Amino acid sequence: MSNQITLSINNQSISVPAGSTIMEAAQKLGVSVPHFCWHPGLSIAGVCRFCMVKVEGMPKLQIACNTPATEGMKVDTVSAEVKDAHKWALEFHLINHPLDCPICDQAGECELQNYYMKVGKYQSQMEDEKVLKPKALDVGDTLVLDTERCILCSRCVRFEDEVTKTSTLGIFNRGDQATIGTYQGRKIKHNYSYNLADICPVGAFTAKDFRFKCRVWFLKEAKTVCPGCSTGCSVNLFQNSNQREYYRLKPRHNAEVNGHWMCDTGRTMYEHLNASTRLSAPLLNGENVTFHAALQAVSDATKSVSADKVAVVFTAQFTSEEYSAVLNSLKTTLKGTPKVFVWREETETEESFDGILFRGDRNPNTRGMTEVLKQESVGASILKGDFSALANAGAELTLVFGPEVESAYPSLAKALSRFVELKKSVYFGNTLNEVAKKFWLRIPVKTFAEKSGTFVNFNGVAQKLKANPPVYPAVKAVDEYFADLGKLAQSAV
Amino acid sequence: MPVMNSPYMGRQPSEFKILTELEGVPNSRSLDVYKEHGGYAALEKVLKGGMSPDDVINLVKASGLRGRGGAGFPTGMKWGFVPKPAGEKYLITNFDEGEPGTYKDRYIAELNAHMLIEGKIIAAYAIGASKSYIYLRGEFYDEIAWCEQAIKEAYDAGYLGDNVLGTGFKHHMDVYVGAGAYICGEETGLISSLEGKKGQPKLKPPFPAVKGYLGKPTIVNNVETLAAVPWIIRNGAEAYKKFGTEKSAGTKLFNISGPVVRPGCYELPLGYPLKRFIYEDCGGLIGGKKLKAVIPGGASAPVLTAAEIENMTMDYEAFAAAGTMLGSGAVIVIPEDVSMVHVLENLMHFFKDESCGQCTPCREGTGWLLKMSRDIVNGDGAPGDAEKIADVAGKMMGRTICTFSDAAAGPARSIPQKFAHEFLEFYKNKASAAHAQG
Repeated sequence: MSNQITLSINNQSISVPAGSTIMEAAQKLGVSVPHFCWHPGLSIAGVCRFCMVKVEGMPKLQIACNTPATEGMKVDTVSAEVKDAHKWALEFHLINHPLDCPICDQAGECELQNYYMKVGKYQSQMEDEKVLKPKALDVGDTLVLDTERCILCSRCVRFEDEVTKTSTLGIFNRGDQATIGTYQGRKIKHNYSYNLADICPVGAFTAKDFRFKCRVWFLKEAKTVCPGCSTGCSVNLFQNSNQREYYRLKPRHNAEVNGHWMCDTGRTMYEHLNASTRLSAPLLNGENVTFHAALQAVSDATKSVSADKVAVVFTAQFTSEEYSAVLNSLKTTLKGTPKVFVWREETETEESFDGILFRGDRNPNTRGMTEVLKQESVGASILKGDFSALANAGAELTLVFGPEVESAYPSLAKALSRFVELKKSVYFGNTLNEVAKKFWLRIPVKTFAEKSGTFVNFNGVAQKLKANPPVYPAVKAVDEYFADLGKLAQSAV
Repeated sequence: MPVMNSPYMGRQPSEFKILTELEGVPNSRSLDVYKEHGGYAALEKVLKGGMSPDDVINLVKASGLRGRGGAGFPTGMKWGFVPKPAGEKYLITNFDEGEPGTYKDRYIAELNAHMLIEGKIIAAYAIGASKSYIYLRGEFYDEIAWCEQAIKEAYDAGYLGDNVLGTGFKHHMDVYVGAGAYICGEETGLISSLEGKKGQPKLKPPFPAVKGYLGKPTIVNNVETLAAVPWIIRNGAEAYKKFGTEKSAGTKLFNISGPVVRPGCYELPLGYPLKRFIYEDCGGLIGGKKLKAVIPGGASAPVLTAAEIENMTMDYEAFAAAGTMLGSGAVIVIPEDVSMVHVLENLMHFFKDESCGQCTPCREGTGWLLKMSRDIVNGDGAPGDAEKIADVAGKMMGRTICTFSDAAAGPARSIPQKFAHEFLEFYKNKASAAHAQG
């Protein structure tokens, strides 16, 4: 136990590893110490001077973020002296802040606002003119920068220096003229730019993708998993509380997977949820039919063929539960194992990795799918640019489980045109496209946002999806359809 | 410490010459003249006389030498903080001299930069540094040239290089020129600047003695501190302690500015009576003006009233006891006809310009203090404003990475407190102006 130390914060005892700071100990204990510049994913700057705490035996207040915790230390975060320090630290942050909350898109999730309500609530003594700085700067394709709102916490500078190592940002000039900005001629150009808007505690960095679209208090968030690549970042998905439009994804801390960050590609994973081309009804021979009729058609088709005349084409964008349900259901119905193919994008480079989070395998559940196939003792052939194996299989019924994130499959149309050439081919998908119309049967499925289930990332970490209410209530997930198919088969018997 | 009991009563400043020995000597900057006056004998004594690094540190500790840059930290103790194991270590001389009113370090370079070079080599030997830098502010054109010249001469004479004086001790020295920012005189701000970064103080811990320049153990010493080292080595700790007081040993360079008859840089033993310095050595105020206030240690030292300096002696303890500090030894004399409100506004302007902008209370506070002071000067003040300035300044103290914020807050608290009546005059002006307009 020599590497653990015990200290007390507000008379509550807590043990932390030696070398921890007071801030880390407080976080572990669940004691909130106000802070702006400290961020657990970045180095310590110690500049906002907000996280002042009283340490018994030290004459001055100390910053919690950079003061090492020591054995037997007694820390106070709530005394009148500490509260006064917090109040004044906030006042110093706000004296030159424009206080343009009504037109600021950060309002509602702004740390200045939150802390004002928590530790401020004073009448400002600032009566002089504020320092004016450049506003609404275009600093790249994804972000807008308002340097007047900036509180110079330097989180963004450290992010650029330490995480993306692009060092685009700096704080220029001195004193109250100090201004955040990009180096001359530079723009923020990397696949992690939206993290800057996330870590900005105020409205200095706002995301072009989200700003002015919806006030944050109309949003509710669901803890789920990003379907953008095989890293499977833990995310919060934000949906309007009217339970229709989705607005954005933000990373959710997961030390095992993504730490504090996620990539910009992953941030686009709400777009297809809102697409006007979302499929809502099944299509049989080009005619809209009921869900019951569609499933009945599948059920009938499976009755008249032997297992080796049925082909299943998976993409690795479904949940492990869905793969299991398909295989189990078909095995029961067909009294044998169908031929299984795994369809991968022909340009995909599965092994590539950007060094931070983003992986070349754009499917969130390759590992989960592989595990299910192994568990079910099903061998699968890979279709990648070459579909001859499938064509030669001579299947009389082909079930194609298309990618939910179609942008990950640039050769989608080409591949689909190969599938429609086959006899009785069924497409499970969620977005309208010209080729998908030509399938014998097309059945809409739920998106990752609407279903529960598991994604297993490249590293074997399994994470659960969180089901939001579906936009189209009649649309189901693949495992739900196959449960229904099972019931149909039973009732027929 | 009343003046009359001072042991220096009746003695002239010319009797206390440690740093200013070469004052008035022709061609004083040359290496030959320096050697004629005992130059580099201390280095020979250290390197060839069998003194170990610990011997040097102990001797300097025993001499009671304290940092002359402003903080007054015991020099020998500071050197002792450097981890003993061999490895890359650095010694840096702080020649930024940014404290308003200070011109002592440049005076040393003007007399003879070899004093500094020799002191540096000895200090480097004590802490085990094979590389050292002299960090100068960019405006010091002459001083940069003098230091470079002295370094070159020292290399040529074998005092610097891979094998100093044939003893196997290796030491190299370089000059580094900053861009002229007050905050680069703060030791960690200086280190940032030397590393090629924006001149901003670093968060402590870690402390520079453990992790400083380029992440290596680093000692930063003021020019005057290092320049005193050769004399101490030559003459011993006891000889040095004969000057000054028990806790403030030795002599110190004092720079006086303001309307005194004989302004300039004076070497005085610590503990010297301030009033005697102003009225006897410097000849009093021009035109027999009355003294209103004294800023005893550069812009960041809280102000003393004429009454407070009555029995004041110039040493670390006496100034600290009066709530101010010896600082860099820059004595700024303020006569009766200068308004303290203007003094406040002037100082606040300086601190607002020089805040590095890193820590929020200082960045925002210094600007706010200037605006409030300016409002009063412009006649826009109202009763309570002076108190508000002092109040805001109080909230900036002890809350930041470095002591710049405390330095700015010092005068912003002391002036409104000690000269409250002068502020009332400015408020009245506003009231009468409003009345006239009305």
